[in-house]
Amino acid sequence: MKNLLKKIFLIDLLQGLRVTFRTQHPKNIVTEQYPQQRPMVAERYRGAPRLNINPENGQTLCIACDLCSLACPENLIVVGWERNPETKRKDLVTFTYDTSRCMFCGLCEDACPVDALELTQDFELASYSREGAIFDRQTLEEGIRPTKYRF
Amino acid sequence: MPDDPKPEGANTPESAPQPEPAAPQSPSAEPAAPVAPATAAAPPAASAGGAPPAPAVPPKPPAAAKPAGAAAAARPAAPKAPAVMAATPWESELTADLAAEFGDRISAFQSYLGQNFLVCQPGAAIPILESLRDNHGFEYLVDVTAVHYPDKPEPFELIHIVYSFERNERIRLKTRLKDGEKAASAVPVYITADWLEREVYDMFGIEFEGHPNMKRILLPDEWETFPLRKENSILKMDQRWVQENLGIESGQ
Amino acid sequence: MPGTFLDSTELVLNMGPQHPSTHGVLRVIVKLDGERVLGTECVIGYLHRGVEKIAENRTYTMFGPYVDRMDYVAAVSNGLGYCLAVEKLLNAEATPRAQAVRVILTELNRIGSHLLWLGTHALDIGAITPLFYCMREREYTLNIFEKYCGARLTTHAFRIGGLQYETYDGFEKEVLEFCDLFEPKVDEYEELLTGNRIWVERLTSVGILNADDCKAYGVTGPMLRAAGVQWDIRKAMPYSGYDKYDFMVPTRVNGDTYDRYMVRMAEMRQSVRIVRQAVADIPAGPIMAKVPKIIKPPVGEAYVSIEAPKGELGYYIVSDGSTQPYRCRVRPPSFVNLQALDKMARGSLVADLVAVIGTTDIVLGEVDR
Ligand code: SF4
Ligand code: SF4
Repeated sequence: MKNLLKKIFLIDLLQGLRVTFRTQHPKNIVTEQYPQQRPMVAERYRGAPRLNINPENGQTLCIACDLCSLACPENLIVVGWERNPETKRKDLVTFTYDTSRCMFCGLCEDACPVDALELTQDFELASYSREGAIFDRQTLEEGIRPTKYRF
Repeated sequence: MPDDPKPEGANTPESAPQPEPAAPQSPSAEPAAPVAPATAAAPPAASAGGAPPAPAVPPKPPAAAKPAGAAAAARPAAPKAPAVMAATPWESELTADLAAEFGDRISAFQSYLGQNFLVCQPGAAIPILESLRDNHGFEYLVDVTAVHYPDKPEPFELIHIVYSFERNERIRLKTRLKDGEKAASAVPVYITADWLEREVYDMFGIEFEGHPNMKRILLPDEWETFPLRKENSILKMDQRWVQENLGIESGQ
Repeated sequence: MPGTFLDSTELVLNMGPQHPSTHGVLRVIVKLDGERVLGTECVIGYLHRGVEKIAENRTYTMFGPYVDRMDYVAAVSNGLGYCLAVEKLLNAEATPRAQAVRVILTELNRIGSHLLWLGTHALDIGAITPLFYCMREREYTLNIFEKYCGARLTTHAFRIGGLQYETYDGFEKEVLEFCDLFEPKVDEYEELLTGNRIWVERLTSVGILNADDCKAYGVTGPMLRAAGVQWDIRKAMPYSGYDKYDFMVPTRVNGDTYDRYMVRMAEMRQSVRIVRQAVADIPAGPIMAKVPKIIKPPVGEAYVSIEAPKGELGYYIVSDGSTQPYRCRVRPPSFVNLQALDKMARGSLVADLVAVIGTTDIVLGEVDR
């Protein structure tokens, strides 16, 4: 009997609708309005790569040890270096990082002995061409330059 | 346990992590890279005591067709790292029952890291599985897979993993197969084997006799190579198929 | 579908690979007699990437990120299984602290995976609302992953021997907050669905798979438990310290789609229970066991499996003593469970086929690898 009444008065459906309407209360809205509202990205986020430079003298921190490229499962880092005849140390010449193949696993970052290579919180990596996804040393040091449009 | 000598030249030339495409290929050009030899070198036991002078990386083709006995005899000179799995014998009621039932069709009962497995003759796998299911409660076939050892006379090892809910026990059944030899299908015993055996066929080219639908499962039907065989490097692909079906020169 | 002779009343229909309710690129060839399904055949492999071949060409450490990409909805579980398998080969064990953190993250991931399943499954049946709510709660788990390890989906959270990252400040608090928030939400979903007459009608007695069928087809996970077999690897062969926690393995008896729904709902509550216990007592200590930097397991082989959200996820790794696996086989739960689709769908209606695919909880990335 009780069940029949429940059926007739659509109790089960009304119950569901109550949940739906409760959620529509403005204070329960969780959607983020992305381009206007920037998401808070976590500190450890693994996003766009960056090659850190020493803030004091503007020199790169990278010692061209090649460990990051050896650690990378995708072999996408190419470190170009030449030996400095005076200091007998390796100097970084080029550094390419192909983000189109990168899985942002963080193994390169873990491998770097001097914390030169770092995956940053920057998450907007889209580009219009495949070449745009290959970062050279300059991009890595200065950050991505987003394409700007004027209307 | 002479049944399991692993080939020491297991790294295909491809498998050594190439630093980067642009790097010089000759090994002498990068003596400074500290990690490279460690990742690329074969197990040290292969060099049999003598101090290896030069980069011992590529020029070591594994001695072809090394019979198991000879390998074991030649090995004691090596200082450490046995190239054989350090398995211990496995004895229990189950092994006694199975030994009584199948006699020398089961060549070994072994255990490694607490995981038990048995090695059996090619024809015996299906009867053993049947007996395990019906008499010992191993109702659930977990997996069928294979491993390819190209340097052995019987290059394929077919592995059935079965589990018993009552005994809460998992065991493996290993069968050695020659190249081109057909295995008997386990589908009449466990329906699960259907797709799993198709995948083994797809990846290794081992055909199963008595399988209801022996064709490829993951790769396209017209594909020609069997990717998980060791002779196929990771870059190997069926160029003809790619050209015909995708309309591009190469997939790489 | 061996016989292809077509009667005039029979119709062969291609469902997928681009079909909203096949949950990915799954193509099902369906033979129909009117609305009745006479047989199905799955065509899979559209997402095949050769993960097992990749494994043979990467070192043990390098292969870590790839396993996340199989079942990308439950990447943490995949990572756990892989790490456990390699640790087994190395005869090492993660430290107690690492184990506790692993349990927390894996259970959160189980919740996330079940939530995604619930949302999409309900969407298939025609209930759109739960999807949004499920995504809303799943977001919290993803945020915890992001804060912990820096990625939301393909987390690469664990390393062989333990963890790469120490927990962040406020980790425990945030996880507990999530638990408090989430439990009433499960009630909310149940309010929406459990008693709803359309939901009940659409799911009961659809896609029945009884216990014997489950065992014969190798079906594991919630599907097996819905058929009344109380089997969960976390209980049967405890790993990563699961034996320390008190939780139940929910089961049902009928093995139909509705029961599978109920089992997964109950599992989410149990996961919260495990998480609460684990968070309350994270041991102090190092997060990384003493494993060598270059991982070189001795010659040997091991099969290690865990209870992933979808069933038994196993890794069979053969080591030849080098830094790379000689063979790494993944035993994917989705792949094996999907095989029972034909059994479940035969004789039902086309509309039920959608429900059956949904209830199997497949992720095509894992089916095809
Ligand atoms: S994040 Fe991973 S894939 Fe990307 S460059 Fe670093 S190691 Fe390679
Ligand atoms: S590991 Fe670090 S220091 Fe070494 S080459 Fe890479 S970025 Fe430079």
